[in-house]
Amino acid sequence: MDCTDKLAVVYGDVTLGVHGKTEGKKFDYIFSYVTGGPESLVINGMEWLYRTPKPTFWRALTDNDRGCGFHLKSGMWLSADLFIRCISCQVAVDGKEIPLPIAPENNKYTGREVAEQIQITFVYETITHPATQVTVAYQVDKTGEIQVTVHYHGNKELPELPVFGMRFIMPTCADKFVYEGLSGETYPDRKAGGEKGVFEVQGLPVTPYLVPQDCGMHMDTKWVEIHRSTALDNRKKKAEPSSLRFMAKEGEFAFSCLPYTASELENATHMEELPPARRTVVCVCGAVRGVGGINSWGAEVEPAYHIDGGEDIVYSFSIS
Amino acid sequence: MDADIRWLDDPEVFRVGAVAAHSDHRFYICEEEAKTGKNSLAQSLNGVWKFHYSENAPERPADFFREGFDSAGFDEIKVPCHIEIAGYDKIYYINTMYPWEGHFYRRPAHSLGGTKEWEGMFSAASYNPVGSYLKEFDLDKGLLGKRVTVCFEGVEQAMYLWLNGHFIGYGEDSFTPITFDLTPYIKEKGNILAVEVHKRSTAAFLEDQDFFRFFGIFRNVTLYGLPKMHVEDLWAKPVLNEDGTGSFGLELKISMEKISMESISVESISVETGSPGRAEIILADKDGNCVLRRNMLLPGNVKAAEKAEGAGGTAGKENGSGAVLKDGFMEIACEMERADIGKVTPWDNHNPYLYQLYVKLYDGEDGLVETVPYQIGFCRLELKDKVIYLNGKRLILNGVNRHEWSPEQGRCIGMDEMEQDMEIFLKNNINAVRTCHYPDQIPWYDLCDKNGIYMMAESNLETHGSWQKMGAIEPSWNVPGDVPEWKEAVLDRARNNFETFKNHTSILFWSLGNESYAGENLVAMEQYFKEKEDGRLVHYEGVFNNRSYEDRISDVESRMYATPEEIREYLSENPKKPFILCEYMHDMGNSLGGLDSYMKLLDEFEMYQGGFIWDYIDQAILVTDAVSGQKVMRYGGDFDDRPADYEFSGNGIVFADRTEKPAMQEVRYYYGLYR
Repeated sequence: MDCTDKLAVVYGDVTLGVHGKTEGKKFDYIFSYVTGGPESLVINGMEWLYRTPKPTFWRALTDNDRGCGFHLKSGMWLSADLFIRCISCQVAVDGKEIPLPIAPENNKYTGREVAEQIQITFVYETITHPATQVTVAYQVDKTGEIQVTVHYHGNKELPELPVFGMRFIMPTCADKFVYEGLSGETYPDRKAGGEKGVFEVQGLPVTPYLVPQDCGMHMDTKWVEIHRSTALDNRKKKAEPSSLRFMAKEGEFAFSCLPYTASELENATHMEELPPARRTVVCVCGAVRGVGGINSWGAEVEPAYHIDGGEDIVYSFSIS
Repeated sequence: MDADIRWLDDPEVFRVGAVAAHSDHRFYICEEEAKTGKNSLAQSLNGVWKFHYSENAPERPADFFREGFDSAGFDEIKVPCHIEIAGYDKIYYINTMYPWEGHFYRRPAHSLGGTKEWEGMFSAASYNPVGSYLKEFDLDKGLLGKRVTVCFEGVEQAMYLWLNGHFIGYGEDSFTPITFDLTPYIKEKGNILAVEVHKRSTAAFLEDQDFFRFFGIFRNVTLYGLPKMHVEDLWAKPVLNEDGTGSFGLELKISMEKISMESISVESISVETGSPGRAEIILADKDGNCVLRRNMLLPGNVKAAEKAEGAGGTAGKENGSGAVLKDGFMEIACEMERADIGKVTPWDNHNPYLYQLYVKLYDGEDGLVETVPYQIGFCRLELKDKVIYLNGKRLILNGVNRHEWSPEQGRCIGMDEMEQDMEIFLKNNINAVRTCHYPDQIPWYDLCDKNGIYMMAESNLETHGSWQKMGAIEPSWNVPGDVPEWKEAVLDRARNNFETFKNHTSILFWSLGNESYAGENLVAMEQYFKEKEDGRLVHYEGVFNNRSYEDRISDVESRMYATPEEIREYLSENPKKPFILCEYMHDMGNSLGGLDSYMKLLDEFEMYQGGFIWDYIDQAILVTDAVSGQKVMRYGGDFDDRPADYEFSGNGIVFADRTEKPAMQEVRYYYGLYR
């Protein structure tokens, strides 16, 4: 790929390739119409995706969630979290929507296509009853920065959510993550004790609650950087240490960075039943339910800390 | 008297042959030892004992205590240690249900009228394990020629004791020290102490705490040699006046060998006083300045004492002092006249200032016989206009409930764990502790005194499964309730708690127990504590479930897990008592959200005085996983133990290994804000 100050665009039959280079940074992104989202985010040769990121709707039940029967009311979000369909995508080049560039539409392009900015939007439909939609737009600019805008469409008939966010699964375990936000594990109703600052967390610690459950949430975060030095690429014995940064566009987001998905945590009754840690699972969240604390056998989380399934949730962040 | 296995089934037998419950003071032969803490009068029996496990009482080696018994077939066990942790019996966690749920049908004796179905309930049960312990020992030099007692600081749940083939006594209150006099049968060498520990007795109905259900000798066992004059009991009564001055009173019970009394010749009794000795009382501040020194001449009227014995053993009162002869000893009760000591430095959480008390006993020749050190503080607890004040300031409890716990050894913990816990308390602004739901080991009380941690000292009582069933209040049978045959057993628990710990400055509340409903027997416990008039308040939550007793039990309105709104409601509608949450913020797993809603109540209502988070430490057991070989934490149900309450044992603000849970920063923040 020639070095230009524009993005090089590959209008593939199944995917859309977006490539570029800026000072000290070479990036190669592939968005898939089939998997329904970004399939590859390579920066300076390091692959950051294991599978296409999808919206996440579930947290491994906390003891309090179980105690108050939250899962009996909101359990459908678990299946929504596991299974989701991408129903459509749109591509916009330099701010102008184009017909979806798959064959034969893409036959008109060449190997030398460039653009200032590419935006690709995926629309997902949940398997809840009733169904609802989530729209996720990825906008790539010349520097390689990706703006992600996430929109959950509320439906009054849907139950409360435990969490809403985007889940990024990376091919190997991170060495550490660094973030600017609050110290420790925080939740909307348990964050007053968090001190503001920049924090570095070595490894991917899973809080060892007796029964594995949702953990590691970090509220009010400005940015988080994931650091990895391993890859699955068979040519690489050891990859160059590199990092990927998620940054809140306006205000702050919540995130967790663990070696497991919610369903992996959910399946274990003890820490030792968790599978060996292999991946990095980053959830960048637009809404988090509180953990509660009044009791563990029925008391609800206080009303201010619920996530109403009927309300829209919109948030955005960048990836660079 | 001989031991009777049927005592296990009878709620009216719970203490046989034991020395009266007394204060937890240490005593030394000389000042030097009192200062260093090295005690030549004490001989630890901790260590390796011979041991035999039986599944039930009928199968136990019933004659194992006899001299000449061949113990070749016995195993070895560590003392202290839970028998389950040693691998003999199944580890079992269950919360409110009695631990025989689904296995045995049981109703407490006398709780449902006159049936005799309770006979053999425990003594003849097919499963009610027995640990038969044997310890052979020679007396240490320091104990030779002295009266010798043995103190068991914790044995769960019923124990019979023999020495050299002779029956000594029996006890059931698992969590308070119990002392037995071994003097009549002790030898210099080759003593054999036999202890038979039964997993369940009627005490099981009173010890239904939400914890792992263990049995065995799980706390220290120590022999003591008593000097010829010995402080059996001391009750220090420091008073802090409103003007900042203090006064000090003291009650002592002193025992002396009768033999030494008889051998006292006229010449050896102080000519001026006729006294066989004196007690010197010294109180010094932190810098060693003496603020009080008194000499009390011990009443030496042997004839008066003998007369008293003849009259039925009641104390012969003589100017507030008396003497009684009992079992070869003369016991003297005496009271030091209250003395004003001017300005004192008050004790509280911010400045836990302690004074050093010494009680020294001198014989008729004025030789020092025994030295008793004790640290005491001056504080004033008041209930004014339905608000609790400490030293004139509104009391705020930023507390936690604390079980004694170690992931390797269960409730068998040592100084290390206690010191770590105190460090964690201090670091995280925790200022109060409830000893849920039993008295703790003695050093924990010392640590609370030294570090200004306000204690709610709870008696060893919980009968949750007798009145709450499947989540509903269902007291059709319950103990202790109003059942007369259960009254003395629970009173004994109150007495053991009070008598052992009464000198600890940090205790602001006596708690009758936990979740035991309410009835006349709880009233009797309340009255017992009240009659002591020691300036402390009495706490009990259970009247919440039986309001007809609320005017007769508990100085505070205590609740558990009330929502902030429910508390607001109580405090807004003509409340009768100050409000305390004896349990709140159930920190099971990832929890402790919404603490601010409780802390705000402190600003809103003077009568809201804080509470105790449930709880301090996860109860989980560290085992080696058979699949992975890793060391892992296990909880209820992980030992094929059923029915179980599974992970409900893990509600700590620290994990079982004492690392802080993430929620701790929230505790530290709010407890710091309202400290």
